Amino acid sequence: MTAATAPARPAPPRARRLPPAAGPARLLGIELRRSPMLWLLPVLAVLFYVSTYRPAMGNPPFWNIRGGMIQSHTMLVFAPLLAGAGAWVGSRDGRRGLADLVGMTAVPRWAGQVATWAAATIWAELLYLAGVGVLYAVTARQGAWGGPLWWPAAVGAATVAASCAVGFAAGARLPGRFTAGLAALVVFLALAGGAFAIQDNATYAQIWPLNVQGPFPPDSYGIFYPYLPDLAIAQVMFLAGLAAAALGVLGLPAGAGSRWLRAAAAAVTVAGLAAAGTAIGLAGTARVEPHGIVIPALHDAASDRPVPYTPVCSRGAVPVCLQPAYRAYLPDVTAALGPLLRQLAGLPGAPARVTQVVVTTVTSARENGIGFGGPVISGHPPVLYLPLSGLTLPGEGNTPAASFTANLRGQYGTAIVNDLVGLPSGSPAGTGVTGVNFELGPRHAAQFAIANALDQVLRLTGPWSVRPGARPPSRSLPAGTGANGAAASGSGTLAGSGAGAGSGAGAGSGAGAGGGAAPSAAQQQAAVDRFAALSAAARHAWLLTHLAALRAGRIALSEIP
Amino acid sequence: MNVEIAGLTRRFGRTQAVAGVDLEAGPGVFGLLGPNGAGKTTLLRMLATVIPPSSGRLRLLGRDPGGYGGRRQIRRRLGYLPQNLGYYPGFTVAEFVEYFALLKEMPPGRVPGAVAAAVERVDLGDKARAKLRTLSGGMLRRVGIAQAIVNEPDLLLLDEPTAGLDPEQRVAFRALLRDLGQRATVIVSTHLVEDVGAACSQVALMDVGRIVFHGTPDELTGRAEGTDAAGDAPLERGYSAVLAAARATAGARS
Repeated sequence: MTAATAPARPAPPRARRLPPAAGPARLLGIELRRSPMLWLLPVLAVLFYVSTYRPAMGNPPFWNIRGGMIQSHTMLVFAPLLAGAGAWVGSRDGRRGLADLVGMTAVPRWAGQVATWAAATIWAELLYLAGVGVLYAVTARQGAWGGPLWWPAAVGAATVAASCAVGFAAGARLPGRFTAGLAALVVFLALAGGAFAIQDNATYAQIWPLNVQGPFPPDSYGIFYPYLPDLAIAQVMFLAGLAAAALGVLGLPAGAGSRWLRAAAAAVTVAGLAAAGTAIGLAGTARVEPHGIVIPALHDAASDRPVPYTPVCSRGAVPVCLQPAYRAYLPDVTAALGPLLRQLAGLPGAPARVTQVVVTTVTSARENGIGFGGPVISGHPPVLYLPLSGLTLPGEGNTPAASFTANLRGQYGTAIVNDLVGLPSGSPAGTGVTGVNFELGPRHAAQFAIANALDQVLRLTGPWSVRPGARPPSRSLPAGTGANGAAASGSGTLAGSGAGAGSGAGAGSGAGAGGGAAPSAAQQQAAVDRFAALSAAARHAWLLTHLAALRAGRIALSEIP
Repeated sequence: MNVEIAGLTRRFGRTQAVAGVDLEAGPGVFGLLGPNGAGKTTLLRMLATVIPPSSGRLRLLGRDPGGYGGRRQIRRRLGYLPQNLGYYPGFTVAEFVEYFALLKEMPPGRVPGAVAAAVERVDLGDKARAKLRTLSGGMLRRVGIAQAIVNEPDLLLLDEPTAGLDPEQRVAFRALLRDLGQRATVIVSTHLVEDVGAACSQVALMDVGRIVFHGTPDELTGRAEGTDAAGDAPLERGYSAVLAAARATAGARS
C-alpha cells in the first residue's frame, strides 16, 4: 500500500473452473486448519489414555469389556470437555468482535456456523476413533475371542458429535468467557444425573449415553450371546437427535439465512427433537433379558440365539469346560475346583462335568436391582453350570491368580459341597447352591459336619478352625442352638430331626437322627475332625456308601467315622 | 446510484441513533464526518446490512436489502470494515482474507488470486503467511481493509479505516481509496478531516442522527468563511462552523 504505486490495481486473476462444492469445502478446510480443537487434541489423547486405555489394559482382553469402556469411561470425561470446547468454538465470533462482519456476508450465517462446528467435531471424532482403533488393535493382538463391538463405539462417536453440538449452540447463542465452563459443567451434571436416574431403575433413563447394557455382567453380551444393539440404536438416535436439534436452533434467527433455509433449520430442529423423544420413549419400553436389554420395537429375534462355540476343556476325571474367550483362565479354574471335583467324583449327584455359563438366573427387584444366580448342578449325569461373571479374573485390576482361585474355591466350592451333602439351598428356586442363609435344624448336623470337614481338608474357605461355642465362618449353626447344644428356639424344624438325646451330652454320645436337642459345638467339631482326619480314599468310600442317607438326614453325628 | 436513502431511522430502545437521513451516492469516495455519537457507525451498519433500519427507504446497488434474496446479492458486492474489527488469532493473513472471500461467495477459482491481490494492495504481501496474533495494530487494520476489498466491491463501507495507521500508510491508503472510488462507491466514516480532504469527492457531516451538511470538501471549507470557528486546518474550521450552526438551529427549535 505504497502511496505511489497502490492505485495500480492488479489485473483480476482468471477464474479456474472448480466444482460448486469447492467453496464450502475450502471454507471447511480453513476451519479444519485453524480449529481451536486442535489445541485440545493432546489433552484428549492423555485423557483417553488415563480414563480408558490404561484401565482397559487392566481388564481381561474381552471385546465387550473394551467396547463398554470406550462408551462409558471415555465419554464420561470426553463429553463435558467437548461440550466446553464446542461452546468456546461457538462463541468465537462473539468473543472476537467479528459477529458484525461474519453476519453480513453472502453465505448464510447458519452454513458458516455448521462449517465451524463440523471442523471442531471432525477433529474430536478423529482423535476418538484413533483411540478406539488403538485400543481395538491392541485387544486383537492380545488374542481376544470373537470380534470388536462397533455399537458402543458408535454411541461414543454420537456422544462426541452431540456434546460438540450442544456446547457449540450454547456458545453461539450466549457468547461469553464463562459459557465454555458452564457448558462443560452442565453436561457433566447431566451425565451424573443420568447415573442417579438409572440407579433408580427408571426405564427411560436407560437412554443414558454411558449405559452399555444396564446391569449385566460383561460376558452376558458379546461372548455367550450376540451384543444386542437395541439400546445402542436408541442411544445413537437420541444423541443424533440432540445434535440435530442443537444445530437446527442456530438456523432459526432471522439473520441466519433465507426463509427456506430457516424453514429447513426448523425442520431439522423438530426432527431432532422428535428423534430424541422417540428414543427416550423406546428406552421406556426396554426390558431386561438374561443376555441384555431388549427394546421390542428395535429387537431382532435372531440375536437371542446364543453364539455357537466349541468349548475349551481340561482333562481329568471331571472335565472343566470354558467358553473359548476364557481359555487363558482354564488352568486357574481347574486349579481352584480340581481337588474338590476329584474328591467328589463318582458320588451320586456330584458333577461329572463343569460347564461355564453366562448367568443361571436373573431376578429383578425394584429396590435391589438385578440379581444373578450362582452355580447350578443339574442334569443326568449331573453338570455343574458355572458362571464366572461375578468373579474378578486374574489380571483384572492387578488381581493375582491365587486370589482368583481362592475366591472361586471359597464362593463356589462351599456351595457345591452344600448342595451335594443336602444342605438346603437359600436360592428362591431351590436349585441354586449359593448361600445357606436359612435356619438349620439338628437333622442337618451330620450334613453340616461333613460339609465343614470337606471345607477344611480341601481348604475351600481358607485355614480355619471351629472353637467350642464359636461358629465356623462359612456355615452358620442353627439359630437358637446354644453352645451347650440345647435347642433354644423350639422351632418346628427341629422336630424329629435333632441330633443327640436332648441332653446336651458330650461329643459323639447319643447323636441320632431322631428328635431332640441339637448337638453341641464340641460334638460338631469332633465329628468334623474325625472325618477330616480320614484319607481321601476313605472319605470318598464313606460318602459313596452313605451320601444318600446323609442327604436324607438319616445320618447321626456319631455315625460319622 | 449505488446508495439511495430516504428518511432512514434507527432506534435502539428509546435512543434514536439515526433520525431521518436522506442520501444518495454514486461511484466515488464519500466522506462521513461527525462527532462521537453522531450516528455514523449506526448508519454504516445499516448500509452494511448488519442491522435493519427502523423506518425509511434504503436501496443499495439497485436492490432492496429488506428481502433475503436482495440482501444476499448486495452482500456479494459489498465490502465492510467495522470500527472495531476482531480477528482470529490463529489464522494467517492470507487465510483470514480467503475466509471472508469465501463467505462473500466469490467463485472459488478466483479466490487465491483475489486474496493475493488484496493482500498486496494493503502492502502485506510479505506477511501473507504470518499469524494474525503476531501483527501490530496497524497491520491488523490493513488486514481488515484487505478482507473488505478482496471481492472488489461495488460498495465499500469503511468505519474509521485509518485508525492505527502510521502517516506513511495513511497516505498510501488515501491513494488506494481514490483508486477504489473510480469504479465503486466508497463511504468512509472518520474523525480525521484531512483524510476527507485528501481522498473524498463528497462529504456529509452528521450530528445527533441527522446529516447537517452534504457537499464537497471545498464547500465544507467555505462554510468557515466569516465565522470564528475553531480549527487548525481550513476543513476543520468548516467542520466546526457547520456543527456550531446546526446546534444553534437545533437549540432555537427546541
